[in-house]
Amino acid sequence: MKTFFDFSERYGGRAGGYRDLMREQIRHVLFVSSLYESFILAEDGLLYERVLGKFLEVTPMEPPDLTRVSSGREALRILHRPPTPIDLVISAPMLGDMDASELAATMREAGIHVPLVVLGFDHRELREFVEKRPQDGILAPFLWQGDARILLAIVKTVEDRLNVERDTRIGVPVFQVVEDNIRFYSSFLPVIYSEVMNLTQAVQAEAGNRLQRLMRNRARPKILLATTFERAMRDFEAYQDAIMGVFSDMEFQKGGVLNRAAGLNLARAIRRLQPDIPIVLQSSNPENARQASSLRAGFLLKGSHDLLGQLREALTGDLFFGDFVFRNPKGAELARAVDLKTLVKCLKTVPEESIAFHASRNDFSRWLRARAEFGLASHLRPRRLEDFASVEHLRTELVETIDRYRRERNRGTVTPFRPDLFDAEEGIVQIGEGSLGGKGRGLAFASRLLDEVRLSDRFPGVKIAVPPAVVLGTSVFHEFLDDNHLRAFALETEDEDEIVRRFLNTPLSGEVQDALAQMESVLTAPIAVRSSSLLEDSPHYPFAGIYDTWLLPNDASDPRVRLAQLVDAIRRVYASTFTRRARSFLRATPYRLEEEAMAVIIQRLVGHNYGDRFYPHFSGIARSHNYYPVPPARPEDGIVAVALGLGKTVAEGEPCLRFSPPHPGHILEHASPESMLEHSQREFWALRLGETAPEGGWPADGPLTRLTLKEAETDGSLGPVASTYSAANDRVYDGMGRPGVRLVTFAPVLKHGVFPLAEIVQEMLILGMAGTRLPVEIEFAATLPREPGGTAEVGFLQLRPLASSRGDLDVDVDAVPPDDAFCRSPAVLGHGRLALKDWIVVNRDEFDRAQSAACAQAVADFNRELRQQGLPYGLVGVGRWGSTHPWLGIPVRWEDIAGARVIVEAGFKDFRVAPSQGTHFFQNLVSLNVGYFTINADLGEGWVDWDWLARQSTLDSRGCVHHLRFDEPAVAIMDGKERSGVIVKPSRGAGV
Amino acid sequence: MTQYLSALMEDVKAKDPAQPEFHQAVQEVVESLELVLAKRPEYRSARILERIIEPERVILFRVPWVNDQGEVQVNRGFRVEMNSAIGPYKGGLRFHPSVNLGILKFLAFEQVFKNALTTLPMGGGKGGSDFDPKGKSDDEVMRFCQSFMTELFRHIGPNTDVPAGDIGVGGREVGFLFGQYKRLANEFTGVLTGKGLNWGGSLIRPEATGYGSVYFAQEMLATRGETLEGKVCLVSGSGNVAQYTTEKLIELGAKPVTLSDSSGYIYDEEGIDAGKLAFVMELKNERRGRIKEYVAQYPQAVYTPMDPAPQKRPDPLWQHKADCAFPSATQNEIDADDAQNLLNNGVYVISEGANMPTTPEGVNLFLDAGILYGPGKAANAGGVAVSGLEMAQNSMRYSWSREEVDSKLRRIMKEIHARCVTVAEEFGTPGNYVNGANIGGFLKVADAMLDQGVV
Repeated sequence: MKTFFDFSERYGGRAGGYRDLMREQIRHVLFVSSLYESFILAEDGLLYERVLGKFLEVTPMEPPDLTRVSSGREALRILHRPPTPIDLVISAPMLGDMDASELAATMREAGIHVPLVVLGFDHRELREFVEKRPQDGILAPFLWQGDARILLAIVKTVEDRLNVERDTRIGVPVFQVVEDNIRFYSSFLPVIYSEVMNLTQAVQAEAGNRLQRLMRNRARPKILLATTFERAMRDFEAYQDAIMGVFSDMEFQKGGVLNRAAGLNLARAIRRLQPDIPIVLQSSNPENARQASSLRAGFLLKGSHDLLGQLREALTGDLFFGDFVFRNPKGAELARAVDLKTLVKCLKTVPEESIAFHASRNDFSRWLRARAEFGLASHLRPRRLEDFASVEHLRTELVETIDRYRRERNRGTVTPFRPDLFDAEEGIVQIGEGSLGGKGRGLAFASRLLDEVRLSDRFPGVKIAVPPAVVLGTSVFHEFLDDNHLRAFALETEDEDEIVRRFLNTPLSGEVQDALAQMESVLTAPIAVRSSSLLEDSPHYPFAGIYDTWLLPNDASDPRVRLAQLVDAIRRVYASTFTRRARSFLRATPYRLEEEAMAVIIQRLVGHNYGDRFYPHFSGIARSHNYYPVPPARPEDGIVAVALGLGKTVAEGEPCLRFSPPHPGHILEHASPESMLEHSQREFWALRLGETAPEGGWPADGPLTRLTLKEAETDGSLGPVASTYSAANDRVYDGMGRPGVRLVTFAPVLKHGVFPLAEIVQEMLILGMAGTRLPVEIEFAATLPREPGGTAEVGFLQLRPLASSRGDLDVDVDAVPPDDAFCRSPAVLGHGRLALKDWIVVNRDEFDRAQSAACAQAVADFNRELRQQGLPYGLVGVGRWGSTHPWLGIPVRWEDIAGARVIVEAGFKDFRVAPSQGTHFFQNLVSLNVGYFTINADLGEGWVDWDWLARQSTLDSRGCVHHLRFDEPAVAIMDGKERSGVIVKPSRGAGV
Repeated sequence: MTQYLSALMEDVKAKDPAQPEFHQAVQEVVESLELVLAKRPEYRSARILERIIEPERVILFRVPWVNDQGEVQVNRGFRVEMNSAIGPYKGGLRFHPSVNLGILKFLAFEQVFKNALTTLPMGGGKGGSDFDPKGKSDDEVMRFCQSFMTELFRHIGPNTDVPAGDIGVGGREVGFLFGQYKRLANEFTGVLTGKGLNWGGSLIRPEATGYGSVYFAQEMLATRGETLEGKVCLVSGSGNVAQYTTEKLIELGAKPVTLSDSSGYIYDEEGIDAGKLAFVMELKNERRGRIKEYVAQYPQAVYTPMDPAPQKRPDPLWQHKADCAFPSATQNEIDADDAQNLLNNGVYVISEGANMPTTPEGVNLFLDAGILYGPGKAANAGGVAVSGLEMAQNSMRYSWSREEVDSKLRRIMKEIHARCVTVAEEFGTPGNYVNGANIGGFLKVADAMLDQGVV
């Protein structure tokens, strides 16, 4: 099976996005300081609480644990045998028994490679320490100035240094600080980190849910501190594509000596590499401002009393740590965008010159990158102003790109419903709390997967997504039952109509009604109201079709009418939790009805309007495992059933097309015109529009209508899926280019490249399997563009893991000893276990080929009698079942053996059998999950213990056909993956 | 059976012990010829039977091809050229995994007499391969057909052997086969029948069997000075044969009252007219709907559901008062009880559009009752006849109109009928179309063989 990791490789970076960021985190800090320094800290406030408070203020991430010791020895003891791994040591310069330099050396000697940072409490003492003691093994010295945020800055600086290489590869931007003055950077860094965190918080507000917020936090810009020219250049060269801005001192070490123009040199060197990087220089000499200006760099005066304020301003302005300020080329502010939504709004209105100005400086991509919008930033960055015919073209491109991105970003996540954010085109939102239910979870997960791998990118012109949906969480269901005292009533009442009546007369809560009304004001397309029960995703108990789904045209002009219909449908879905069908289904599972809860999915239907009807070009179901593969298809290739129109055709087992995605040209039913005529879909389902619901709602699943292919031809929707039968030429022609009877064969799609259906479904299956690590079933619907060059839409409607087709049953065929079985086959169709007491056996030795018709009649008689008694049975015979040729086997029709749940077909004397794939026969095997054993004993392909069968007492015999009835069932065990099977004799312990 | 014939059968079995289907076919023919051999000793001395059961030529060849996965596949190709005494070998190609030499010999043997009965100059043959078109892509089918024809093309020709389609060989396969033949032989000739209308096919193919069975009934009635005008007719089935049987019946003034499918049948006492038939054609051909929908459209009709299992007997469709019956659905749809019901309800004309729709017991009841019983062998020869007409048109490089083909079909059915009547009388069983058909085909071939010497 493909794994998710194969998938990541296949799809590149996206799958390894945010989650791979910030791998290295400081979780446990060892703080080493003398008692005196501890006292200072105590005076300044309770250190731990302050640090904790600062962390919680600026980041949703866990703050690090802090262990405090007051001597070097204690520190070393802990470092040698830490109760938890220590990620960082913060040490005062002088400890009672040693200094920080000695501590670092001892740690190195002991092989302890934990980063060590020195935090001084006195400026002079720290300076002396730095100047006089070796600094090997010490990351950087910091100075305590009464602001607890310095601890945050230390932790983050260390983390950033550890993660910068990996994270910049993923797209995280870097902000470079060059400053050798400990006091200065010890005060700047907390300010810069605070601004970064503020920015991150602003960006988080745009994120939908907690996970997105967490991920965005990880994607915040990195801060790299350098204290020398060489270090600064090394950092810049290493990460220049990621660097979004440089904040540099003017005077610092270059070539081992203090250089007054080091900052200017650095700025020049950077300009040569990246001409448009924002640079802010600071100096205590006001005259340097002119030189800074000549290098197009900002300037801060160090002696200024408002240095930190200016720094903050520079960060939010020139260095993009804040709003996007639209300016004209002269620098005058024209507009201000606080987030993507307002950015798009401003882009639409600001004058051309402003857009040209910012575009020429790459400001848009830089601002976006600072906000962790890497994908968008890297999309825009390589586009130059000259690439566009005019500024207006650029404006359009920017607006469209950012707007599309903003919508796409909301896909793949479930966000709480907010009227201002709700978008009828994208995303899954939740009303109320609680679970999304099985189907909802599947959808949310599918949405997330599709978003991660950007499946649409692989199929240009096709949008592949979970259609926008609003999910009513299970809490809404519980509130509905409890607030209205309906729970006991529903559990106890057997009368389904009474339940529906009561439910329809009970209002949903005002809050939910309001949210639905707001949703309805935006969403005017036809919708599906689908059940999504808590237990529904249990792979072992497929609830498919147990609860109701309603399709609503949702096209009444009065929003109140639309809302009323929607609310009715929701209440009907709730009522369907308590139907007899659901109750009896639940009885067969370990669950109790009280445990069930119902979420409801309200989802836009995929389809087009055709006058007064609505339907997709096609809908289907795909499974990742095919238990009835026809060569060249293999079981693991999966199987797709697809039909024109709404999915009801496929769901209800009406004629549709089955194909294996890697082999779309190999269609079993397309072997001959007769077979195509017999199996082709001739009618399809659509939703009627413009209908007023009758009193009490539509009688079943919505105003659906069954239409003929003629109507599809009139609508223009038949072309992509049609072929034409010419009786005069006894031939089926692909497409509709000739007169004749129209058939649905999907030939234009599957054979002539009209639409990459097979490829898309295959990718969706791999994706689903990769995500769940189980075989999956998916439902989908698709529309093709009506105009050339338009976009096709594939709606991913459901993802359901399949433990196996009949649960995770033990189907270890090899575990059955040969003596315990009467039949074994290496060529079995079907999967699972079937226990049967009645067996109809054609005795091989008594069978005469010339009398096969009489034998068929006897089999048919037994079949009829057993069916009348409601007894399923197993059938064992020789030759090919269902052969129309009496010499090749027993010429039964499907109806003659329709009660058989297991069929054994054994080669006979001088001819071998191949699994009977007469199409009609085969279709029935598939749809009824019949086990089919093929045996060619002469070729060593399995065996039947005919002697054992002959020794069993018979209930009845007609010619060579015998009816055996065992006291205990004989159990057919079929492994659909290995395609092997065995039938265990009664009472041999193969319980079911 | 005479000692001579028994010895012949023993010989056949000894020669090819693994061909049970062929043994049975020979046995059936031989049994029906006892009368003939008694009357025509020259056949025995010229060893016509010994010769006629031996194919003139059997071609067996390798058909290698490459599937879509690039794997080499090998199938076996056959052409049994059974008899060319009265014309080029003619008979279908069958692509089915069950195909083997025994089955093809059996089919080719039957084809010789079927073709002879049409009165057209067509010998008999059959061919095919154990290739299974099921689950194959169009490209694979094309590659297989091209490889198959790459060998076969040197053995066939418009004046030598003219294959047609059969199971597994429809318009698509005939197209691929013809294309490859044309390419290899570098000539466009009528070497295959069943071609597309736009490249040498004939009109009236879908209609031929149904029309033919009505024409045969018309001829049978004419022997009693009657016509189909006003006759109440039971038609079973609702496929091609039943639809065109009904169409022709309506055209000739008869009153068809039933049609059926596997789920049941409708009885329309007022008669199915052209408008109702158009509805049925739309229902069955376009929508593939159930025949019971007829009743929703025409409420005066009665729908009776039928258990699809064969044990549901007797079939109520055959229990209505009528003059004629046209079993056009499937094999064995009339057993002894049904036959008796038909007789009891006054039916005196039966023309079989389906293949062997009546069980042997049923046939005997019809023959004993002396009614006009046209067995499928003769009554449904229209399909084969139009194949012959396609060859004729190809030879002339000319295409006839619908009316022209239809009128020629009509003439052929008339001749088949006349031949059956003459032969039945000659051999002392007047009015017995079964004997007429069985013996008529044989005589034509046997006499030609006599004329042509020991070849």
